[in-house]
Amino acid sequence: MEFSWPWEYDFPPFFTLQPNLDTQKKQLEAWRKLVIDYCRHNKIFVLDVQESMPLFQNKTIDRQLSSEGIKRVLEILQENQQIEWCDKSKKQCFVYWKTPQEWGNLIYRYIIDKGMTNTVCTFYELTEGDDVKNEEFAGLDKSILLKALETLEASNKAEVIMFGGSEGVKFF
Amino acid sequence: MRKRPGIGAIHKQRVEQERFRGKATELQDNVFEQMANQMEKFRTNLETFASKHRNEIKKNPTFRKQFQEMCASIGVDPLASSKGFWSELLGVGDFYYEIAVQVIEVCMATSQRNGGLITLGELRQKLIKARGKAQHHQNISNDDIIRAIKKLKVLGSGFSIISLKDTQDSSDVLIRSIPGELNADHTEVLKIAEAQAFTTIETLKCKLKWDDVRCQQILNELIRDGVAWVDGQSTTKTYWFPSFFKPLINEG
Repeated sequence: MEFSWPWEYDFPPFFTLQPNLDTQKKQLEAWRKLVIDYCRHNKIFVLDVQESMPLFQNKTIDRQLSSEGIKRVLEILQENQQIEWCDKSKKQCFVYWKTPQEWGNLIYRYIIDKGMTNTVCTFYELTEGDDVKNEEFAGLDKSILLKALETLEASNKAEVIMFGGSEGVKFF
Repeated sequence: MRKRPGIGAIHKQRVEQERFRGKATELQDNVFEQMANQMEKFRTNLETFASKHRNEIKKNPTFRKQFQEMCASIGVDPLASSKGFWSELLGVGDFYYEIAVQVIEVCMATSQRNGGLITLGELRQKLIKARGKAQHHQNISNDDIIRAIKKLKVLGSGFSIISLKDTQDSSDVLIRSIPGELNADHTEVLKIAEAQAFTTIETLKCKLKWDDVRCQQILNELIRDGVAWVDGQSTTKTYWFPSFFKPLINEG
Protein backbone atom coordinates (compact mmCIF):
# COMPACT_ATOMS: atom_id res chain seq x y z
CA MET A 1 0.00 0.00 0.00
CA GLU A 2 1.24 3.44 -0.96
CA PHE A 3 2.12 5.77 1.88
CA SER A 4 -0.37 8.61 2.01
CA TRP A 5 1.52 11.82 2.58
CA PRO A 6 -0.11 14.48 4.75
CA TRP A 7 -1.18 17.76 3.10
CA GLU A 8 1.87 19.53 4.58
CA TYR A 9 4.19 17.50 2.37
CA ASP A 10 2.86 19.37 -0.67
CA PHE A 11 2.90 22.73 1.12
CA PRO A 12 6.18 24.42 0.08
CA PRO A 13 6.80 26.43 3.30
CA PHE A 14 6.62 23.19 5.30
CA PHE A 15 10.25 22.68 4.23
CA THR A 16 11.41 26.06 5.59
CA LEU A 17 11.71 26.48 9.36
CA GLN A 18 9.03 29.04 10.25
CA PRO A 19 10.08 32.32 11.89
CA ASN A 20 6.91 32.51 14.01
CA LEU A 21 7.65 30.26 16.97
CA ASP A 22 4.04 29.17 17.46
CA THR A 23 3.80 28.23 13.82
CA GLN A 24 7.19 26.53 14.03
CA LYS A 25 5.98 24.45 16.94
CA LYS A 26 3.03 23.22 14.89
CA GLN A 27 5.36 22.63 11.96
CA LEU A 28 7.80 20.53 14.00
CA GLU A 29 4.92 18.58 15.49
CA ALA A 30 3.66 17.80 11.98
CA TRP A 31 7.19 16.72 11.02
CA ARG A 32 7.46 14.53 14.12
CA LYS A 33 4.25 12.78 13.21
CA LEU A 34 5.28 12.43 9.58
CA VAL A 35 8.63 10.80 10.47
CA ILE A 36 6.93 8.28 12.74
CA ASP A 37 4.14 7.48 10.26
CA TYR A 38 6.62 7.19 7.40
CA CYS A 39 8.96 4.88 9.30
CA ARG A 40 6.08 2.74 10.56
CA HIS A 41 4.68 2.41 7.05
CA ASN A 42 8.03 1.54 5.51
CA LYS A 43 9.18 -0.54 8.50
CA ILE A 44 12.24 1.64 8.99
CA PHE A 45 13.95 0.79 12.27
CA VAL A 46 17.17 2.69 11.78
CA LEU A 47 17.14 6.12 10.19
CA ASP A 48 20.27 7.30 8.40
CA VAL A 49 20.23 11.06 8.70
CA GLN A 50 22.67 11.66 5.85
CA GLU A 51 20.96 9.38 3.40
CA SER A 52 18.77 11.27 0.99
CA MET A 53 15.24 9.92 1.03
CA PRO A 54 11.77 11.12 0.07
CA LEU A 55 10.91 11.74 3.72
CA PHE A 56 12.77 15.03 3.95
CA GLN A 57 12.71 15.85 0.27
CA ASN A 58 9.76 16.39 -2.04
CA LYS A 59 11.06 16.31 -5.59
CA THR A 60 7.68 17.15 -7.10
CA ILE A 61 7.68 20.62 -5.58
CA ASP A 62 11.49 20.79 -5.40
CA ARG A 63 11.70 21.41 -1.69
CA GLN A 64 13.80 19.78 1.00
CA LEU A 65 14.19 20.23 4.71
CA SER A 66 17.55 21.76 5.63
CA SER A 67 19.95 19.84 7.85
CA GLU A 68 19.18 22.38 10.58
CA GLY A 69 15.48 21.56 10.12
CA ILE A 70 16.14 17.82 10.26
CA LYS A 71 18.17 18.34 13.42
CA ARG A 72 15.28 20.17 15.07
CA VAL A 73 12.78 17.48 14.09
CA LEU A 74 15.05 14.78 15.51
CA GLU A 75 15.46 16.77 18.72
CA ILE A 76 11.69 16.80 19.15
CA LEU A 77 11.56 13.07 18.45
CA GLN A 78 14.26 12.48 21.01
CA GLU A 79 12.41 14.54 23.62
CA ASN A 80 9.44 12.27 22.95
CA GLN A 81 11.68 9.22 23.30
CA GLN A 82 10.73 8.18 19.80
CA ILE A 83 14.29 8.03 18.54
CA GLU A 84 17.59 7.10 20.10
CA TRP A 85 21.00 7.84 18.58
CA CYS A 86 22.91 4.73 17.61
CA ASP A 87 26.21 6.33 18.62
CA LYS A 88 27.77 9.64 19.50
CA SER A 89 28.36 10.63 15.88
CA LYS A 90 24.60 11.19 15.53
CA LYS A 91 24.48 9.87 11.99
CA GLN A 92 22.01 7.11 12.62
CA CYS A 93 19.19 6.67 15.07
CA PHE A 94 16.77 3.97 16.10
CA VAL A 95 13.20 4.98 15.38
CA TYR A 96 10.72 3.83 17.96
CA TRP A 97 7.31 3.89 16.35
CA LYS A 98 6.95 1.25 19.02
CA THR A 99 9.04 1.45 22.16
CA PRO A 100 11.34 -1.49 23.05
CA GLN A 101 8.90 -2.21 25.88
CA GLU A 102 6.02 -2.43 23.40
CA TRP A 103 8.01 -4.71 21.09
CA GLY A 104 8.87 -6.87 24.09
CA ASN A 105 5.24 -7.20 25.09
CA LEU A 106 4.24 -8.00 21.53
CA ILE A 107 6.82 -10.77 21.25
CA TYR A 108 5.98 -12.16 24.68
CA ARG A 109 2.27 -12.33 23.81
CA TYR A 110 3.16 -14.23 20.63
CA ILE A 111 5.27 -16.71 22.61
CA ILE A 112 2.46 -17.28 25.12
CA ASP A 113 -0.10 -17.73 22.34
CA LYS A 114 2.08 -20.34 20.66
CA GLY A 115 2.87 -22.10 23.89
CA MET A 116 6.56 -21.56 23.37
CA THR A 117 7.58 -20.72 26.90
CA ASN A 118 10.51 -22.69 28.30
CA THR A 119 11.92 -23.32 24.85
CA VAL A 120 14.87 -21.54 23.33
CA CYS A 121 14.45 -19.53 20.12
CA THR A 122 17.24 -18.00 18.11
CA PHE A 123 17.10 -14.33 17.26
CA TYR A 124 16.85 -15.31 13.63
CA GLU A 125 13.76 -17.47 14.24
CA LEU A 126 12.12 -14.67 16.16
CA THR A 127 12.42 -11.98 13.51
CA GLU A 128 13.21 -13.69 10.21
CA GLY A 129 11.63 -17.13 10.51
CA ASP A 130 8.74 -18.29 8.32
CA ASP A 131 6.44 -18.63 11.31
CA VAL A 132 6.65 -14.96 12.21
CA LYS A 133 6.54 -13.39 8.78
CA ASN A 134 2.99 -12.14 9.34
CA GLU A 135 3.76 -10.77 12.78
CA GLU A 136 4.37 -7.07 13.25
CA PHE A 137 7.82 -7.71 14.68
CA ALA A 138 8.98 -9.57 11.57
CA GLY A 139 12.16 -7.95 10.32
CA LEU A 140 12.78 -6.14 13.62
CA ASP A 141 16.24 -4.64 13.84
CA LYS A 142 18.54 -6.78 15.97
CA SER A 143 19.64 -3.98 18.28
CA ILE A 144 16.03 -3.05 18.98
CA LEU A 145 15.17 -6.73 19.47
CA LEU A 146 17.89 -6.92 22.09
CA LYS A 147 16.53 -3.83 23.86
CA ALA A 148 13.04 -5.33 23.74
CA LEU A 149 14.28 -8.59 25.24
CA GLU A 150 16.12 -6.66 27.94
CA THR A 151 12.81 -5.16 29.05
CA LEU A 152 11.44 -8.71 29.30
CA GLU A 153 14.51 -9.83 31.23
CA ALA A 154 13.92 -7.03 33.70
CA SER A 155 10.53 -8.51 34.53
CA ASN A 156 11.87 -12.08 34.53
CA LYS A 157 9.95 -13.11 31.47
CA ALA A 158 12.96 -13.98 29.35
CA GLU A 159 16.63 -14.70 29.42
CA VAL A 160 19.06 -14.01 26.59
CA ILE A 161 21.58 -16.80 26.11
CA MET A 162 24.62 -17.23 23.89
CA PHE A 163 25.48 -20.61 22.52
CA GLY A 164 28.06 -21.56 19.98
CA GLY A 165 28.32 -18.19 18.36
CA SER A 166 24.58 -17.70 17.91
CA GLU A 167 22.20 -15.82 20.10
CA GLY A 168 19.00 -17.10 21.51
CA VAL A 169 16.40 -16.36 24.10
CA LYS A 170 14.40 -18.45 26.50
CA PHE A 171 10.99 -17.24 27.61
CA PHE A 172 9.32 -18.04 30.93
CA MET B 1 -64.99 90.81 41.45
CA ARG B 2 -64.11 87.10 40.97
CA LYS B 3 -65.30 84.72 43.51
CA ARG B 4 -62.36 83.18 45.28
CA PRO B 5 -62.31 79.37 45.35
CA GLY B 6 -63.87 77.93 48.42
CA ILE B 7 -63.54 74.62 50.14
CA GLY B 8 -66.47 73.26 48.08
CA ALA B 9 -64.84 74.08 44.76
CA ILE B 10 -61.57 72.44 45.72
CA HIS B 11 -63.42 69.38 46.86
CA LYS B 12 -65.34 69.22 43.60
CA GLN B 13 -62.15 69.53 41.60
CA ARG B 14 -60.60 66.68 43.50
CA VAL B 15 -63.60 64.44 42.94
CA GLU B 16 -63.47 65.20 39.19
CA GLN B 17 -59.77 64.43 39.02
CA GLU B 18 -60.37 61.14 40.72
CA ARG B 19 -63.10 60.29 38.27
CA PHE B 20 -60.82 61.11 35.33
CA ARG B 21 -58.11 58.99 36.78
CA GLY B 22 -60.52 56.12 37.20
CA LYS B 23 -61.65 56.46 33.59
CA ALA B 24 -58.08 56.59 32.39
CA THR B 25 -57.22 53.38 34.19
CA GLU B 26 -60.32 51.78 32.78
CA LEU B 27 -59.37 52.84 29.26
CA GLN B 28 -55.83 51.66 29.72
CA ASP B 29 -57.06 48.33 30.96
CA ASN B 30 -59.27 48.06 27.91
CA VAL B 31 -56.42 48.80 25.53
CA PHE B 32 -54.19 46.36 27.34
CA GLU B 33 -56.85 43.72 27.22
CA GLN B 34 -57.31 44.32 23.52
CA MET B 35 -53.62 44.11 22.95
CA ALA B 36 -53.43 40.94 24.94
CA ASN B 37 -56.25 39.51 22.87
CA GLN B 38 -54.52 40.48 19.67
CA MET B 39 -51.26 39.03 20.80
CA GLU B 40 -53.03 35.85 21.76
CA LYS B 41 -54.65 35.71 18.32
CA PHE B 42 -51.34 36.52 16.62
CA ARG B 43 -49.67 33.86 18.59
CA THR B 44 -52.30 31.27 17.76
CA ASN B 45 -52.04 32.12 14.08
CA LEU B 46 -48.32 32.00 14.24
CA GLU B 47 -48.43 28.66 15.96
CA THR B 48 -50.69 27.31 13.28
CA PHE B 49 -48.39 28.69 10.61
CA ALA B 50 -45.34 27.41 12.33
CA SER B 51 -46.59 23.92 13.01
CA LYS B 52 -47.90 23.74 9.47
CA HIS B 53 -44.56 24.73 7.97
CA ARG B 54 -42.31 23.41 10.69
CA ASN B 55 -40.72 20.74 8.57
CA GLU B 56 -40.32 23.10 5.69
CA ILE B 57 -38.50 25.60 7.90
CA LYS B 58 -36.23 22.94 9.28
CA LYS B 59 -35.41 21.28 5.99
CA ASN B 60 -35.45 23.88 3.30
CA PRO B 61 -32.71 26.49 3.43
CA THR B 62 -34.46 28.87 1.03
CA PHE B 63 -37.69 28.75 2.99
CA ARG B 64 -35.73 29.21 6.19
CA LYS B 65 -34.11 32.32 4.84
CA GLN B 66 -37.48 33.74 3.81
CA PHE B 67 -38.89 32.93 7.22
CA GLN B 68 -35.98 34.74 8.84
CA GLU B 69 -36.53 37.75 6.64
CA MET B 70 -40.26 37.78 7.44
CA CYS B 71 -39.48 37.70 11.14
CA ALA B 72 -36.97 40.50 10.78
CA SER B 73 -39.47 42.70 8.94
CA ILE B 74 -41.89 42.59 11.88
CA GLY B 75 -39.11 43.09 14.39
CA VAL B 76 -38.98 39.60 15.80
CA ASP B 77 -35.78 37.66 16.20
CA PRO B 78 -36.61 34.00 16.63
CA LEU B 79 -33.07 33.38 17.74
CA ALA B 80 -32.98 36.05 20.43
CA SER B 81 -33.51 33.53 23.17
CA SER B 82 -33.58 29.81 23.26
CA LYS B 83 -36.51 30.06 25.64
CA GLY B 84 -38.64 32.16 23.34
CA PHE B 85 -41.84 30.52 22.22
CA TRP B 86 -40.59 30.69 18.64
CA SER B 87 -37.73 28.43 19.25
CA GLU B 88 -39.66 26.23 21.63
CA LEU B 89 -42.24 25.76 18.97
CA LEU B 90 -39.98 25.43 15.98
CA GLY B 91 -36.70 24.36 17.34
CA VAL B 92 -35.28 27.04 15.03
CA GLY B 93 -33.13 28.41 17.78
CA ASP B 94 -31.76 24.97 18.45
CA PHE B 95 -31.02 24.58 14.78
CA TYR B 96 -28.76 27.62 14.73
CA TYR B 97 -27.23 26.95 18.13
CA GLU B 98 -26.36 23.51 16.94
CA ILE B 99 -24.63 24.93 13.87
CA ALA B 100 -22.90 27.55 16.01
CA VAL B 101 -21.47 24.88 18.30
CA GLN B 102 -20.33 22.83 15.32
CA VAL B 103 -18.77 25.96 13.79
CA ILE B 104 -16.74 26.41 16.97
CA GLU B 105 -15.70 22.77 16.88
CA VAL B 106 -14.56 22.91 13.26
CA CYS B 107 -12.74 26.20 13.76
CA MET B 108 -10.95 24.92 16.85
CA ALA B 109 -9.97 21.69 15.14
CA THR B 110 -8.56 23.46 12.08
CA SER B 111 -7.03 26.53 13.73
CA GLN B 112 -3.86 24.53 14.38
CA ARG B 113 -3.12 24.52 10.70
CA ASN B 114 -4.80 27.59 9.29
CA GLY B 115 -4.11 30.09 12.05
CA GLY B 116 -7.82 30.49 12.74
CA LEU B 117 -8.73 31.67 9.30
CA ILE B 118 -11.05 29.47 7.27
CA THR B 119 -13.04 30.00 4.08
CA LEU B 120 -16.79 29.69 4.33
CA GLY B 121 -16.61 27.03 1.63
CA GLU B 122 -14.29 24.79 3.65
CA LEU B 123 -16.20 25.45 6.84
CA ARG B 124 -19.47 24.40 5.20
CA GLN B 125 -17.88 21.29 3.73
CA LYS B 126 -16.53 20.27 7.15
CA LEU B 127 -19.82 21.08 8.89
CA ILE B 128 -21.74 18.88 6.49
CA LYS B 129 -19.26 16.10 7.14
CA ALA B 130 -19.58 16.54 10.91
CA ARG B 131 -23.36 16.50 10.85
CA GLY B 132 -25.42 13.38 10.38
CA LYS B 133 -26.11 11.80 7.02
CA ALA B 134 -29.85 12.60 7.20
CA GLN B 135 -31.04 14.92 4.47
CA HIS B 136 -32.18 17.72 6.76
CA HIS B 137 -28.77 17.72 8.43
CA GLN B 138 -27.09 18.12 5.09
CA ASN B 139 -29.16 21.00 3.85
CA ILE B 140 -27.36 23.90 5.43
CA SER B 141 -26.73 26.98 3.38
CA ASN B 142 -23.99 29.56 3.65
CA ASP B 143 -26.69 31.90 4.92
CA ASP B 144 -27.44 29.53 7.82
CA ILE B 145 -23.77 29.43 8.77
CA ILE B 146 -23.38 33.20 8.65
CA ARG B 147 -26.48 33.59 10.81
CA ALA B 148 -25.16 31.09 13.32
CA ILE B 149 -21.80 32.87 13.46
CA LYS B 150 -23.46 36.22 14.01
CA LYS B 151 -25.15 34.67 17.05
CA LEU B 152 -21.69 33.89 18.41
CA LYS B 153 -20.97 37.59 18.61
CA VAL B 154 -22.74 37.69 21.97
CA LEU B 155 -19.81 35.72 23.32
CA GLY B 156 -17.45 38.58 22.52
CA SER B 157 -15.28 39.44 19.58
CA GLY B 158 -13.96 35.91 19.13
CA PHE B 159 -15.57 35.27 15.77
CA SER B 160 -15.58 37.64 12.87
CA ILE B 161 -16.63 37.50 9.26
CA ILE B 162 -14.35 38.94 6.60
CA SER B 163 -15.65 39.62 3.11
CA LEU B 164 -13.01 39.18 0.44
CA LYS B 165 -15.03 40.43 -2.47
CA ASP B 166 -17.25 43.45 -2.33
CA THR B 167 -20.18 41.43 -3.57
CA GLN B 168 -22.64 39.65 -1.31
CA ASP B 169 -21.41 36.33 -2.64
CA SER B 170 -20.97 34.32 0.51
CA SER B 171 -18.50 31.88 -1.01
CA ASP B 172 -15.77 34.50 -0.80
CA VAL B 173 -16.09 34.97 2.92
CA LEU B 174 -13.48 34.15 5.53
CA ILE B 175 -14.27 33.24 9.10
CA ARG B 176 -11.75 34.31 11.70
CA SER B 177 -11.97 32.37 14.92
CA ILE B 178 -9.03 33.86 16.79
CA PRO B 179 -9.51 37.26 18.40
CA GLY B 180 -7.50 40.10 16.97
CA GLU B 181 -8.49 42.52 14.30
CA LEU B 182 -7.48 42.13 10.71
CA ASN B 183 -7.26 45.60 9.27
CA ALA B 184 -8.00 46.73 5.73
CA ASP B 185 -4.39 46.17 4.62
CA HIS B 186 -4.45 42.57 5.84
CA THR B 187 -7.68 41.96 4.00
CA GLU B 188 -6.22 43.40 0.78
CA VAL B 189 -3.31 40.96 0.99
CA LEU B 190 -5.66 38.04 1.67
CA LYS B 191 -7.73 38.99 -1.36
CA ILE B 192 -4.67 38.81 -3.57
CA ALA B 193 -3.34 35.58 -2.07
CA GLU B 194 -6.68 33.79 -2.18
CA ALA B 195 -6.56 32.35 -5.70
CA GLN B 196 -3.11 30.73 -5.49
CA ALA B 197 -2.73 30.40 -1.71
CA PHE B 198 0.49 32.42 -1.84
CA THR B 199 1.84 35.84 -2.69
CA THR B 200 5.12 37.73 -2.89
CA ILE B 201 6.23 41.25 -2.09
CA GLU B 202 6.60 41.93 -5.82
CA THR B 203 3.01 40.91 -6.49
CA LEU B 204 1.74 43.11 -3.69
CA LYS B 205 3.78 46.08 -4.83
CA CYS B 206 2.49 45.69 -8.35
CA LYS B 207 -1.17 45.13 -7.51
CA LEU B 208 -1.59 47.41 -4.52
CA LYS B 209 0.96 50.10 -5.37
CA TRP B 210 2.43 49.85 -1.90
CA ASP B 211 6.08 50.42 -1.11
CA ASP B 212 8.41 47.68 0.15
CA VAL B 213 8.15 48.66 3.78
CA ARG B 214 4.39 48.51 3.85
CA CYS B 215 4.25 45.13 2.05
CA GLN B 216 6.86 43.66 4.39
CA GLN B 217 5.14 45.11 7.44
CA ILE B 218 1.74 43.63 6.61
CA LEU B 219 3.22 40.24 5.70
CA ASN B 220 5.18 40.22 8.94
CA GLU B 221 1.99 40.88 10.85
CA LEU B 222 0.23 38.02 9.06
CA ILE B 223 3.15 35.75 9.94
CA ARG B 224 3.04 36.93 13.55
CA ASP B 225 -0.67 36.05 13.68
CA GLY B 226 0.08 32.55 12.42
CA VAL B 227 -1.95 33.14 9.27
CA ALA B 228 0.96 33.13 6.82
CA TRP B 229 3.94 30.78 6.34
CA VAL B 230 7.27 31.63 4.69
CA ASP B 231 8.84 29.61 1.90
CA GLY B 232 12.52 30.44 1.63
CA GLN B 233 13.33 27.95 -1.13
CA SER B 234 11.77 29.66 -4.12
CA THR B 235 13.58 32.25 -6.22
CA THR B 236 11.89 35.05 -4.34
CA LYS B 237 10.62 34.63 -0.82
CA THR B 238 7.02 33.43 -0.99
CA TYR B 239 4.29 33.85 1.60
CA TRP B 240 1.78 31.03 1.86
CA PHE B 241 -1.68 30.86 3.40
CA PRO B 242 -2.82 27.41 4.56
CA SER B 243 -6.40 28.72 4.70
CA PHE B 244 -6.42 28.86 0.90
CA PHE B 245 -4.31 25.77 0.23
CA LYS B 246 -6.53 23.38 -1.72
CA PRO B 247 -5.01 20.03 -0.65
CA LEU B 248 -5.60 21.05 2.96
CA ILE B 249 -9.13 22.27 2.33
CA ASN B 250 -10.05 19.03 0.59
CA GLU B 251 -8.48 16.83 3.25
CA GLY B 252 -10.86 15.04 5.64
